[in-house]
Amino acid sequence: MHVLLTGATGFLGQAMLERLIVDHPDARITVLVRRRGDASAADRLAGLARKPVFRTLRERIGAAGVRAALAERVDALEGDLGSGGVPALPGTLTAVLHCASTVSFDPPVDEAFRINVLGARELYEAVLASGASPHVVHVSTAYVSALHRGVVAERSLDHAVDWRGELRHAQAAREAAEVRSRTPGVLGPLLAAARAEHGKAGTSAVAAAAERARRDWVHEHLVTAGRLRGQSLGWTDVYTFTKALGERVAEEYAQDHDLRVSVLRPTIVQAALDLPYPGWFESYKMMDPITLAYGRGEIREFPVHADSVVDIVPVDVVTSAALAVAAAPPEPGRPAYFHVGTGARNPLTQDDLHRHVKRYFTAHPLPDAGRGHVKVPPWRLNGAAPVERALRAGERAAELVERALPLLPASARLRERADRARTDSRRVRALRRLLDLYGGYGGVEAVFGDANTIALHRGRPPGTAGFDVAEIDWPHYVADVYCPAVTAASRRTSGPRRSRAAAGGADVNAALPEGRDVAALFDLEGTVLASNLVEVFVWTRLISVPPAGWAGELASLARAVPGYVGAERRDRGDFVRAFMRRYAGCREAELRAAVAHRIGDALLHRSFPEAVARIRAHRAAGHRTVLITGTADLFVQPLAPLFDEIAASRLQVRDGLLTGRLERPPVVGEARAAWARRYAETAGLDLRRCYAYGDSFSDRALLDLVGNPVAVNPDHRLHRHAAGRAWRVEEWGAHTGGRLDAVLTALSGPARAVRPAGRAGAVR
Amino acid sequence: MGRPGFVLEVDERTPALLVNEGEGARLERFPLGTRVIYPPDSLPGIRDVRAAIRHALLHPHGDDPLPALLRPGMRLTVVFDDISLPLPQMRTPDMRQLVIEQVLEYAAAAGVDDVELLAANALHRRMTAAELRRTVGDRVFRSFFPGHLKNHDAEDRANLTEVGTTRHGEVVEINRRAAESDLIVYVNITLTGMSGGSKSVAVGLASYRSLRHHHNVHTLRHSRSFNDPPKSAMHHSYDRMAGVLADNVRVFTVESTVNGDSYPPQVGFMNRREWEWSAADQASYLAFRKLNGMAPAKLRRQMWQRSYAPYGITGVHAGAPADVHPYTLAAVHRQQLTEVDGQSDIGVWGLPFICPYNVNSVMNPVLVMSLGLGYLFNLYRNKPIVRQGGVGIFYHPMPAEFHPVHHPSYIDFYESVLSRTKDPALIEEKYEEQFATDPWYTHLYRTSHAYHGVHPLYMWYWGAHALQHLGDVIFVGADRGAAARLGFRTASTLGDALEMARETVGSSPSITYHHSPPLALADVR
Repeated sequence: MHVLLTGATGFLGQAMLERLIVDHPDARITVLVRRRGDASAADRLAGLARKPVFRTLRERIGAAGVRAALAERVDALEGDLGSGGVPALPGTLTAVLHCASTVSFDPPVDEAFRINVLGARELYEAVLASGASPHVVHVSTAYVSALHRGVVAERSLDHAVDWRGELRHAQAAREAAEVRSRTPGVLGPLLAAARAEHGKAGTSAVAAAAERARRDWVHEHLVTAGRLRGQSLGWTDVYTFTKALGERVAEEYAQDHDLRVSVLRPTIVQAALDLPYPGWFESYKMMDPITLAYGRGEIREFPVHADSVVDIVPVDVVTSAALAVAAAPPEPGRPAYFHVGTGARNPLTQDDLHRHVKRYFTAHPLPDAGRGHVKVPPWRLNGAAPVERALRAGERAAELVERALPLLPASARLRERADRARTDSRRVRALRRLLDLYGGYGGVEAVFGDANTIALHRGRPPGTAGFDVAEIDWPHYVADVYCPAVTAASRRTSGPRRSRAAAGGADVNAALPEGRDVAALFDLEGTVLASNLVEVFVWTRLISVPPAGWAGELASLARAVPGYVGAERRDRGDFVRAFMRRYAGCREAELRAAVAHRIGDALLHRSFPEAVARIRAHRAAGHRTVLITGTADLFVQPLAPLFDEIAASRLQVRDGLLTGRLERPPVVGEARAAWARRYAETAGLDLRRCYAYGDSFSDRALLDLVGNPVAVNPDHRLHRHAAGRAWRVEEWGAHTGGRLDAVLTALSGPARAVRPAGRAGAVR
Repeated sequence: MGRPGFVLEVDERTPALLVNEGEGARLERFPLGTRVIYPPDSLPGIRDVRAAIRHALLHPHGDDPLPALLRPGMRLTVVFDDISLPLPQMRTPDMRQLVIEQVLEYAAAAGVDDVELLAANALHRRMTAAELRRTVGDRVFRSFFPGHLKNHDAEDRANLTEVGTTRHGEVVEINRRAAESDLIVYVNITLTGMSGGSKSVAVGLASYRSLRHHHNVHTLRHSRSFNDPPKSAMHHSYDRMAGVLADNVRVFTVESTVNGDSYPPQVGFMNRREWEWSAADQASYLAFRKLNGMAPAKLRRQMWQRSYAPYGITGVHAGAPADVHPYTLAAVHRQQLTEVDGQSDIGVWGLPFICPYNVNSVMNPVLVMSLGLGYLFNLYRNKPIVRQGGVGIFYHPMPAEFHPVHHPSYIDFYESVLSRTKDPALIEEKYEEQFATDPWYTHLYRTSHAYHGVHPLYMWYWGAHALQHLGDVIFVGADRGAAARLGFRTASTLGDALEMARETVGSSPSITYHHSPPLALADVR
């Protein structure tokens, strides 16, 4: 006996391989495995020895024994079904177990066709070419007839869909979608959205976001295309649609070339009942995430009817049936059909399932991260409509909050709210996906008759494993086997909730690793200072103008605000340029003196002591400290002793007067990253060890550049960006003075006292 | 003469007593038998202060009359106490203004051209222009600022000079201009026994190199108390340094003393004994409570900082420092000394809104510590009012607030040193050098208005004697986080604090409440 197994690295395939090795010691096995990255087919096969599926065998013959068994009895053929990459098959094959399939239920249409339809065709072609005439067990799914009502018999599907035509269109779909995604109608809105979201972070961030959005659009488009095509022809989704067409391919080859083909249609395959050990499963799929989410108390209600049958079947029942089917080849050219499911003879209703699961979680609740245990909610199971309504309301609320929050100033509390809102909406979205997927399978009213399968069970040779689903004891399976298995990992990992509070500044400052090739790059406004350009300008004006003129000054500034806000929205650089024009005509020396004697203290008043402490800590660790700011160098002089390098723009001076123009473009947005990159090159710095501190999304490029980015009092977008990348987020400003104090400080400085009252005006 | 100071024993007829607590005050009922220390009644002030000044300058102790010391072509440096004295700030005209104007008048008459005015701010923050103007008066300010009216810069190496070394090896390094002057006229205001005398020039114009010989944990632990110079190791060191100075530079000192009028008449009840409050005092207390409670924090601070004291001047004495100071101390004692019979188990202090280092600024937790366990605890002669191992109970809200410009090194001291250790000796050994020589702190001290980097550590040493003496320290009404950072316990009420104190001093402790300001110097027998 020589068996070819496809899909050996998948859930069903692993189980099959294990059963073949354990129960059929005389069988020669060949597996068809796709190369993945650097791992060749042989590597991936050898890697299986460490998998849980061989746990029982390992316990019996040791890890070395398993490795030896795999090496001696199994040949790995490297090939990829559906990509024209099937190598020549051995001529000695007596059976083929075709378990390969798409992993996902909602793949893009071309992907689904490639694997499930084209892959089947390539396999049958290769079988024909090999000269052998093995019995092919073609694993499909019972849900190819999901939309039927009543009992579905085990026979060929009744439809007239031309699989070649569908395959052709599906293969062409990607090219068409790629073309369409580049048209102005699609690309325009995507680019606009990217600009709105990422504009502040600079043009290359916008470009990257736009391209990401275009790719997502193509993917989404192909997924929708597949689902709709499947549904338009009477299937639940593209998965069952392509599996059905795959069956048609098998039938054609069987008839045209007198092949012996059996089609095996399992229902929802779940964790093992007994073999290789009770509760074995490979990864979370279908029901598992829902069970887990329920156990965590995240699903309040479920969109099915209490009396609906949920047709699950343990994986070892499927493998036993498949091996029995393989041992009983039909006549050439006349495919045989087998349903492996529980719905017909041992139905499990949603209500029963819920009762068993609830019983399990009541007896063994999941830990609730430092807050005791989760209490699971009771489900009423009144069908889809009420759940759909609740879910939609939840989605709307989450969306609204997510949109509204960024409009408010980013205080620590609001940031936390935004975080929570984001988690909520992510949870709602995940729930929506689960329910959408599961909805197609959980509410099926077809009953899959299994007369052929049960006949095989009854006629099996003595001593071989049975596969009569009527023997499954549901309360035992659900509560004692299935639930403990799917929750095991989650119980292991759920420790006490991670504290998000930033560690005390002292510890951070003490723990900075020393290094000469390290720099700490600091943004100024919002990161080192609580103040901004406008505040500094107000100080200079109030100093220079006698109190009688203050109202006029402030009014003039207020009138210009809308223009500045617009400029700031467009581009930070535009704003800086526009604002600096206000200094046109000022005497440079006087402004410099005002900064030295009066603005200096006001600036220090508005500085974050934590920032100063951190800068000094970097210095103490031997790091270079660098200030990168859009404002003019003149205004940062009071802080200059803290920094080894200051990247700032310079105000243009003609004949001692400021022209209101800058000598070079302000260092804002992506220019900062570019500057930092060059600085690192010339100074011989290791950017991966460098630190950068910023508060705004426009600092993103700079923060992205270094190995240790820190978001300081971040705005909402930067906060989200930081949370997604697990950056340090710190709240600074505990001992920072208020705006009014700073103004008073500026006004009480010595310069005013020097000047006789009549000669006011450091700044004109 | 007013009534002398006395010690009240609380009985059934004693009303609730006023207790200061930062920018506020409350009336507190003390347990029966509690002893309350009151200072003597405020002494009458001199009516014609200018005449008294002239008299002092012309009839000095141990030196020639000032005009005789002045001659054309000489270098004259007039040095005056900085904003840390007196507390609260006094109403204008400031006593220093009056003295300086008179000194300058004599100097002008004698044809002295080379005159410099220096604020003796040592490691304190520079005084702002407005503060200088308020202290020396408009006329002097306009003629001398900024060229010839300056703050002393203890980090300006070029303008410091080592005058000599004491027989204990203490380096005397002071302001070069002053040291190289033909005459220093030092204009002092003395509020407590610790100020004036040898301290004026030796400390006010010194550098860190010189100050560290007496501003350290060992000296402060052996200054019992630093308000009683004969028993203060710190003052012994000052005296040695003053001796070195006297050999090298001529100092003519003008010391004045103030009476007990620490608060303006609107809150006159603060200066009176509670059982003598009139109906008007009662009403103004209630109004004060209400207004103070309602005012926003910033406004409240402004109100307190601008409540200038209508001090009366009780004495002006001039001449050689060593000869003048005994008269000054006698005047201080006349105003403040109250005899107390023996120590008690528990001492209670209400901390006012002001200390020497938060004038026009913020009283941060480290300053609260130095005010309570430093200044007020040390207002004694012979023995502390609390026995060794007794409990100190202090009233202050102690918010974790800092002035970012004035106290930058305090913030770092509070955040990163006190979080590791509170032991003064360990702090001195491990951190003093680092804070004292930090270039950023030095930069801020010199160019901005920051206290020197080492200053918060000095404030901590200031409490070293009390920390050693007291068995427990409890703050009533303090911010728990801040108090815990300083290593102190907190209680919401006096009742709770006394309950907590019982763990240390037993179930029926004797209690003494040190009622101030107006300040009382407890002479414990």
